[in-house]
Amino acid sequence: MDTLISENGVFLPIPPLQAVRLHFILGTILVLTFMVAHTFFPINLITHPTQTLFIIWGIVGPVLMILFGHLRQDMEQCSYFRAAGRGYVGLVAGAIVNALGAIILGAPVGFEYFTKTLNWSLLMSSFTFVPAACAFGSAWSHWHRVFAETKAFSFIDYMIRLPAYGAVIGAWFGAWPMPLDWERPWQEWPICVSYGAMVGYLMGLVASSVCIIFHNRRQQHLKGE
Amino acid sequence: MDSSSVTCKKLTVIAVLAVLIQVFGLALFVLGFFPVKPALSGFSGVESFYPPGADSAEFQNITNLSDSQLKYLYQELSLVPPLFDRLILMVIDGLPAEFVLGKDGEPPPKSFKEAMPYTQSLLSKGRAIGYHAKAAPPTVTMPRLKAMVSGAVGGFLDVAFNFNTQALLDDNIIVQFLKVGWKLVMHGDDTWLKLFPGIFSRHDGVSSFFVKDTIQVDQNVSRHLVDELSRADWSLLILHYLGLDHVGHLGGRNSVLMVPKLGEMDEVVKMIDLNSSPTNNNDQGRTLLLVVSDHGMTENGNHGGSSFEETDSLALFIGPTNFGSTSGTPNKANQVDLASTLALLFGVPIPKNNVGMLMPETFKSLTVDQQLRLLELNSWQLLRLLEAQLPRLVCENFSCDNFRDDGSERTRGYSSLEETFCCLYMKAADLHRSWKSGEEKRSASGDNCHSILMAYHNFLRTASEWLSHRATDKPVGRLIFGVAAMLVSCLILLSLLFLLGKQVFSEQNQQFSSANNDLSWWHLDEVFILVVIVIVVISMGSSSLVEEEQYIWHFMTSSLYLLSLLKVMQHIVTRTEKNTSATLGLRTNNYIQICSIFVILISGRFLRGWHQGGVNWTNLPDISKWLEQGGDTYIKLFQLVSVIILINISLVSLMWSRRSKKNFMTVVSLMHLFPGWLVLHYITKYQDVAFSTGSYDATLMAQVIYVVLGFCSTTIVVAVPWCIPFQNRTLSVPEVQRKAWGLCFRDSAYVIGLSYVYYWSLLQLLLQQPVNSMPVLFLFLQVLASIWFSSGSNQHRRQWVEVAALYYMGMAGHFGLGNTNTLATIDVAGAFIGVLNHSTILSGVLMFIITYASPMLYLLSMVMYNSVKDTSSFIISEKGNIGLLLKRTLGFPCLVPLGMNSILLIAYTIVLLLMRNHLFVWSVFSPKFLYVCATTVCVCVGVSIVASTVIYISLVLTYREKLHTHTD
Repeated sequence: MDTLISENGVFLPIPPLQAVRLHFILGTILVLTFMVAHTFFPINLITHPTQTLFIIWGIVGPVLMILFGHLRQDMEQCSYFRAAGRGYVGLVAGAIVNALGAIILGAPVGFEYFTKTLNWSLLMSSFTFVPAACAFGSAWSHWHRVFAETKAFSFIDYMIRLPAYGAVIGAWFGAWPMPLDWERPWQEWPICVSYGAMVGYLMGLVASSVCIIFHNRRQQHLKGE
Repeated sequence: MDSSSVTCKKLTVIAVLAVLIQVFGLALFVLGFFPVKPALSGFSGVESFYPPGADSAEFQNITNLSDSQLKYLYQELSLVPPLFDRLILMVIDGLPAEFVLGKDGEPPPKSFKEAMPYTQSLLSKGRAIGYHAKAAPPTVTMPRLKAMVSGAVGGFLDVAFNFNTQALLDDNIIVQFLKVGWKLVMHGDDTWLKLFPGIFSRHDGVSSFFVKDTIQVDQNVSRHLVDELSRADWSLLILHYLGLDHVGHLGGRNSVLMVPKLGEMDEVVKMIDLNSSPTNNNDQGRTLLLVVSDHGMTENGNHGGSSFEETDSLALFIGPTNFGSTSGTPNKANQVDLASTLALLFGVPIPKNNVGMLMPETFKSLTVDQQLRLLELNSWQLLRLLEAQLPRLVCENFSCDNFRDDGSERTRGYSSLEETFCCLYMKAADLHRSWKSGEEKRSASGDNCHSILMAYHNFLRTASEWLSHRATDKPVGRLIFGVAAMLVSCLILLSLLFLLGKQVFSEQNQQFSSANNDLSWWHLDEVFILVVIVIVVISMGSSSLVEEEQYIWHFMTSSLYLLSLLKVMQHIVTRTEKNTSATLGLRTNNYIQICSIFVILISGRFLRGWHQGGVNWTNLPDISKWLEQGGDTYIKLFQLVSVIILINISLVSLMWSRRSKKNFMTVVSLMHLFPGWLVLHYITKYQDVAFSTGSYDATLMAQVIYVVLGFCSTTIVVAVPWCIPFQNRTLSVPEVQRKAWGLCFRDSAYVIGLSYVYYWSLLQLLLQQPVNSMPVLFLFLQVLASIWFSSGSNQHRRQWVEVAALYYMGMAGHFGLGNTNTLATIDVAGAFIGVLNHSTILSGVLMFIITYASPMLYLLSMVMYNSVKDTSSFIISEKGNIGLLLKRTLGFPCLVPLGMNSILLIAYTIVLLLMRNHLFVWSVFSPKFLYVCATTVCVCVGVSIVASTVIYISLVLTYREKLHTHTD
């Protein structure tokens, strides 16, 4: 077991295999949720964006809380349930930040868009804020390291940062088709943005797995020397 | 200094040279791409009654015929007697055909229908035939009048000449009438007088540029009616009513003035019709009243683009008797068809460059034989034009036997354009010939005559469509040369920028040595600036993204500032970690930066939401529509609040100017306060009456404000560098003096820059539509916030990024003020504030000021931007070389906008070249190109103002310093 040491103290070790497995589970659950919505309630993002988004974040969010509650960095001070619980706080706070960000970038404001924006921002918050909230709580230095810097001290940094970045960048690119005059129903807010976010998130998961494996190899190589 | 360093003088000379090359190349390209040349010169004559290719020698002897002889000769040759003797052409400017004929089978809105009872009764009785005559873009008056009378689709640049009308020299129906001895009378829009100088026997021209006036402008036309209708001396009477267009410009389609104005027009129609009916007195002959409109209008009453609302113009033929059997449904035609129809109705030759086909419903009262003859004449004329434009069109070369067998006329089967036209024409001509030869069997062959009509229509429609959509021949050499010149200038500017960047970068590395190693590699926001340029360039190739460009600028600018926020966040915590080095000042600096980013982002979002903009989703709700529904009181309230906040913010910002004499600052504050108060006064007292007729006071007041603004800004620019005191004069240490010099420079630049920005915003508050006052305030806030932001970021942000961000915000704000890439959103009404006598140049300048409010504001803010950058360190190290200082302060603020604009210009020029055959080239790409050209002018003007101001400041300061040392 390797233990990385940073300025901020000792990180709890995460076996790389476990991390990759966790990513795999997350990706599978996201895809499954999508299919569940499609088959059991015959709805999809294009016909019922609000309900579909609700189902997706309603399943993916708690799953993330459960999984990342195990990876909490302050094991001594914080019980598992408390760690999963602070995920809820992160979910709400992240939803506000994401909604504000989307509106600043031009998301439509109006009563008819309220539920769509709400559910979309809750989904984005599940992708971005919930894992970090479960793992770090309110420790500002951790948050800053994960989201503002490019250096990584531990696998958990990759596991939180890359999928979150993937979701945000995917959503950003997902907004591109919106002003085109193709007159397709999926060009509406927030359908293509949600698709972009989910695709970006999945790509982030893959990137994170690759990074972890690569990182692990290098460390073993260094140790071998 | 290494060899790659460029001196200030060299830099300036090369940059000016590059700009000149750019302007030259642009002029070449514009003249090449938008040609204004007709395909055939000269006027149609007797030869138009003979088939093409007939011997022209026999027409020589008719040149010395008198007017009436020519008229009889034409009648004799045409074989068809003219249907009418006199024509009253009543042009109602800007009337959409929808108002009279309805749309898609629906009747027009009830209130409009009831407003025109006489016209509607004529339509229902069959005495009038109504057409939706589709106008070609650009839908502005002069090109449309030209199209109507000459039958040719004009060049796009006619818009540019719309403000400087010139005589129509091509063949046209008016000249054809004049040739057969008609006496012409015109009352109304003086555009006619400019198009046809000196040919009207009587005329009363009114100016089309006084948009405020909706009543007098029409009374000036109608007052002649009684007199003219009682006279019998004229044959063509043109009445051009402008009031309806003005009503639209002021209040849109649903203006309260619209229904009364339609009623007034109906009264005119009634009066003319009752007076010219054949029962009245027969000496005047049969009169045709043709009611046409030159173009339609959008929901807001603007025009210029190519939407259905704008191109849906009216053509209403009202004759003394019924037009034969006509169906009740309104017909569709093109505006250019009017020329050939009128020529054939009155028995004169069709104008040479006419591309229209006759409107068949108006000829229903003629015999089949006569109808066929008219179709033949029209076909001969179009065939001549086709032969001129397609040199390989020699019909003997094609064997068109294949079509005779199959009954269905498919044009797809032919291998070339020439073959298509030839075969279609020859089919019609052959059928016609066999019909004529078998005249005795005529009664038996009813089907036959129908098939000949169909064959002629087929040819005419195909030829007419091709001719009007044809991409005109472009001088390739000139275009290539123009593009090459622009490309060269773009490369020069970019390489200058690159050299400067490299030099500054190496200097900075020397100064900060290794302390700031984050200067050495590319940052995310720098990469993003380049990404924005690439994305904007790519998006220009898509017509829908050109239409909805506002989304791109807002999205990219907001993303850029979100990235900046991320970057500031990185630094803020790095500092808290290193507690030893983190001073309180730096941390507050960071908070100021974060706050200013939020101000920029939130203002930007409001600007985005203020006008929906674009073309496809203009009907979606936005803040301006919401305010307009709320009523004038709210708009006025917002306007007053904006002016007051603007004045207060500028005064507070003025106090920030670090160290200045109290008296001096009081004077400057008063100079800020007084024009602000004047604008406030104008808004409260005059704005409502500005658009009514008795607005002399308002005009005077606006002129006073222009003068005061001009005077104040000039005084501040000239006086401030002389009045800002040098500090620390007692110390003779050169380094301290240098520092004093730098501080003095920054103070002067700050005061002057703030005054520029403030006066420009005040001017906009005066000129822009009332609903745009709050956006102007938001723009002002954004400018100040970005200046605060830059003031706190000497270390970790390169200068060119900040300048580029300012440029981007200027573009985002341009669309935030409701501008789009169609010509329809140019605010015409605002361009007449304070203009007493119509002056093309003055109104043009005001229009430019209104349209380019935002980019200009951001360019002007570069002076202020210079003041917050810490230049003193460079001055100290470089021993007071003024050239170096100018290079450092002016280099990026001037070169970055020029460089970016040159990239966009060359990219868009190439896009336009590639899209020259695109369906939307005239409606989407060409208007956008005009905007790009105007942006280039705006950037050049703005940059030269900034450069001359900063150069003036530093020259004055150097002179003062010299003076000072001499006296010591």
